[in-house]
Amino acid sequence: MKKFKRLLSALLIVSFSGVSMVQSVQAAMVSTEQVAQAAAVQQAGDSHERLNDMLARTEVQAELQRYGLTEDQARERIAALTDEEAAVLVKQVDDAPAGGIIGAILLVFFVLLLTDILGLTKVFPFTRSIR
Amino acid sequence: MPGFGAASRRRFVLGGVAVAALALAGCAVQTPRLLAAPPQGLPRRVELSATPFFPQEEYQCGPAALATALSAVGLPTRPEALTGKVFLPGREGSLQIEMLAGARRSGAVATVIPGTLEAVMRETAAGNPVVVLQNLGLSWAPSWHYAVVIGYDLDAGVFLLRSGPIERQELPLSTFEHTWDRAQRWAFVALPPDRLPETAAEAETTRALVAFERTALPRQAAQAYTAGLARWPGSLTLAMGLGNASYAAGDLEGARRAFAAAAQRHDAAAAYNNLATVLLELGRRAEARAAAVKAVGRAGTEGAIADSARATLRRIDDAAPPAPRRQRRRPTAAAPPASP
Repeated sequence: MKKFKRLLSALLIVSFSGVSMVQSVQAAMVSTEQVAQAAAVQQAGDSHERLNDMLARTEVQAELQRYGLTEDQARERIAALTDEEAAVLVKQVDDAPAGGIIGAILLVFFVLLLTDILGLTKVFPFTRSIR
Repeated sequence: MPGFGAASRRRFVLGGVAVAALALAGCAVQTPRLLAAPPQGLPRRVELSATPFFPQEEYQCGPAALATALSAVGLPTRPEALTGKVFLPGREGSLQIEMLAGARRSGAVATVIPGTLEAVMRETAAGNPVVVLQNLGLSWAPSWHYAVVIGYDLDAGVFLLRSGPIERQELPLSTFEHTWDRAQRWAFVALPPDRLPETAAEAETTRALVAFERTALPRQAAQAYTAGLARWPGSLTLAMGLGNASYAAGDLEGARRAFAAAAQRHDAAAAYNNLATVLLELGRRAEARAAAVKAVGRAGTEGAIADSARATLRRIDDAAPPAPRRQRRRPTAAAPPASP
């Protein structure tokens, strides 16, 4: 099962790295989110895909378990984030110090989001209303 | 995080609020103004008494509050059904961002409203219960809690809430303002797709609708965009959303109309591109090609929309019936777009 998942994610990475090729064949419609973000800074890569890739790591899964979440639940939650929200999360991971990436993913996904809500940090603009 | 043991909760909250009120006396800036000069068109008293009540299980004020709000607007939901969507067992609470996502996954559009007491009142006066985040403790010793505002009484100076284990809580306006202020005055309403919040701004509403389209049934997303466009007819994003949702729902004619209107009004590449795709699927190839050429001309040379526009034009030319003369002069992807 695990091997299958690895293979699948490897395939996904390959297929997504060839995005321009895929697009020239079939992606003819421009999505609403694309329009909404047309002015926003383009994030490198697909944020949802990257968050999902992070979930495939065993260390991350062990940490998820500690928080009482299954991998499927985490994937569902990622799927429910908008591109904009996911991009913010990915950016936090990218900005994390090198070597601590695994920890950073969890730090980002749970702790920072949480401390934001607790009002200890102000990392995510979407944890409060924007005026 | 939200929630306490039910037994100690009330005493603790009362104590916390009392201390907070002493420590922060004079910080409730909105309440005195509001009571001195109530906003126009606001009823003196509102209570959405038909709002159901789900007594909160331990720590689970998030699912309980969300189920309350959803059930009140005609989307019957049990808190248990939401636990897996919005509850984080390891932290004994729910994240704000997941409260919004959880509402969307239950078929509601979740929109963050402005952080003013007046906005909360106007929503309840319009029949929309408001989910609020409160910090019932102190800024340095927070105790987080989600509750649902179901009304207010200006004469008595109170808000009415469904809150945790309390079915009908009367909270003085200034106390509410203190506890809400310490949670950055965060509040949202969750409504069925055909209803818009009374107070939300265009940016927040657009954000909420685009997020809703991601997980909603296409037909419902189209309904939601229609409602949004009725209020903000000048929005390109909402117009594109209506077209895309109609297209996803299989309503090609509706999609064509939406994209054509958006293209005419905004002269935007994205609108022409999607219009071209829909026209091609409707079998109107000549019109499709004209739209695609306009899309390429307006999209510039770089970016995802330009790529889509070029791909659409290529696809239309590829779909052409065998022509007497060669039509395609520039088949390579590297070639610059043909001028319209």
